[in-house]
Amino acid sequence: MFPFDELIATQRELGLIAAVALGFAFGFVLERAGFGRANKLAAQFYLHDMTVFKVMFGAIVTASLGLVLFGGLGLADLAAISEAGASYTYLWPMIVGGLLLGVGFIVSGYCPGTSVVASASGNMDGLLTFGGVILGSLLYGELFPLFESFHSSSELGQLFLPDVTGIPGAVIAVGIAGVALAGFFGAEKVERIFSRRRGKDLPPDATGRVGRLAMVSIGVLAVLALGTLALPGSQRETETTEAGTIGQEQLARRILDEPWTVRVLDVRTEAECVEARIPGAECVPLDGLGDLGLAYDESGRDLVLVYSDAGAASGLPEPAAAYPGKVLLLENGFAGWRDFALTKPPVPAADAAEAEREAYSFRSALFGAMTGRPAPPPPKASGKMVPKKKKKRGGGCG
Amino acid sequence: MERSERFWNPYVAGVALGLVLLATFLVMGRGLGASGTASRLGVAAVQVVAPAHVESSDWLSQATTGGAHPLDDWLVFEVLGVLLGGIVAAYTAGRLKRGVIKGPRISVGTRLGLATAGGIMMGMAARLARGCTSGQALSGGALLSVGAFVFMFSVFAGAYALAWSMRKAWN
Repeated sequence: MFPFDELIATQRELGLIAAVALGFAFGFVLERAGFGRANKLAAQFYLHDMTVFKVMFGAIVTASLGLVLFGGLGLADLAAISEAGASYTYLWPMIVGGLLLGVGFIVSGYCPGTSVVASASGNMDGLLTFGGVILGSLLYGELFPLFESFHSSSELGQLFLPDVTGIPGAVIAVGIAGVALAGFFGAEKVERIFSRRRGKDLPPDATGRVGRLAMVSIGVLAVLALGTLALPGSQRETETTEAGTIGQEQLARRILDEPWTVRVLDVRTEAECVEARIPGAECVPLDGLGDLGLAYDESGRDLVLVYSDAGAASGLPEPAAAYPGKVLLLENGFAGWRDFALTKPPVPAADAAEAEREAYSFRSALFGAMTGRPAPPPPKASGKMVPKKKKKRGGGCG
Repeated sequence: MERSERFWNPYVAGVALGLVLLATFLVMGRGLGASGTASRLGVAAVQVVAPAHVESSDWLSQATTGGAHPLDDWLVFEVLGVLLGGIVAAYTAGRLKRGVIKGPRISVGTRLGLATAGGIMMGMAARLARGCTSGQALSGGALLSVGAFVFMFSVFAGAYALAWSMRKAWN
């Protein structure tokens, strides 16, 4: 159901209106939280007003629990959202970038997003901060040749906490919620200590009725999110990448018509593969798959795995599952190919249907090409035959 | 307390912000952001004065891939919304007023200089970290991205590390 198939790509105007509307809500909430004012934001780092921490973690926890819930109920495609929404992890650039952004934060009193909100409320310091962010981005571009190798160093791909820890996302999200709730109570105490010490006004009590209600809603969300674990096969993290299958004829046509769209890996033993294989297939026994760097193959080809028979009952081998494109298993593996392409096709009856005759001529041509033995020509069409319709499929045999 | 200092309860604001972020993920299939728009605005400005320079720069031309206008991106529209939402929220709360927010012990000029300098640092940092507190920490964090949490803790570490040296600017 969600996301709406990349709204921007499919329905541009509607997508841009949605972008403005969601941005409006974002800006409205930030302003009302007090994030249009530098002193409120900077206070986080002098510990007498921890609003930044409270709002930020409240938001992260709410959104991640909500995503787990929607994903668990099958209402949202979490994998697609994660893929589109999360950047790659570049360990060192992110540490250094984070430190520098933190320094810029305490110097300017804003982060890039809140500087927009500050500008909107008329704060000139916010406007100049945003101008600075623009300049900084350009400056980075000008100096880019100097940073280039560091910029893309320690790349770990898209990396999520469930992948690293092996713990389901729902449990991690709930764990973070628990830490955040504990952190909220800690923050209330810290604020009390440091506002007294610095002689500042204590921010208004946030643990009143509405504040407690917000925390209780986070708690309820967490319980519901945990509940999704009980639903069968609904967790993104516990799901192994499902491989599709490809039929013999489909594969044969693609190999002949558009070989650049498939990468065929024959995972039988080396000896079997050397003896006979599908044209263009690479002989890669299962334990050698890891050396191919499949996770980095961005060619966009479909990966076809050829076992000796149906194979892979226990799910995809890990390196293949990491392949960014589509992974397909050849139906019935090489045994199926032998039956289909290396065995003389049965001659269709004289009154056979058009489709059957077409399939036969394809198979016999394939058989001829694979084995060097010509198959007998198809029987002559009977007079009653409807004139052959031009097939859309272009080129190739058949 | 003055009306202009009255804000939402932070926990309510947090949940509300989380719901906006969740809605963005569900509807748009991606998260919120901010610094990407600043970067695109910069490219657009350079394109006006020196279009050849954009083309010759590997970095700047990323925003114009396939002949697209650098501002032709959903994030630009989202930030336009942030600006509008900020104006409406500030106006309705009686906070829409031209001014400079600063600590009591520094001059307006110093404050504006620091604001610009901090902005420049953040502009560079956000490019290096593939996003800022909105696009990387908030959106990535909600997706449980490892890089987002690494980034977020680094932001807090950087700010806390320099807070003592900057205390005169704020207190």
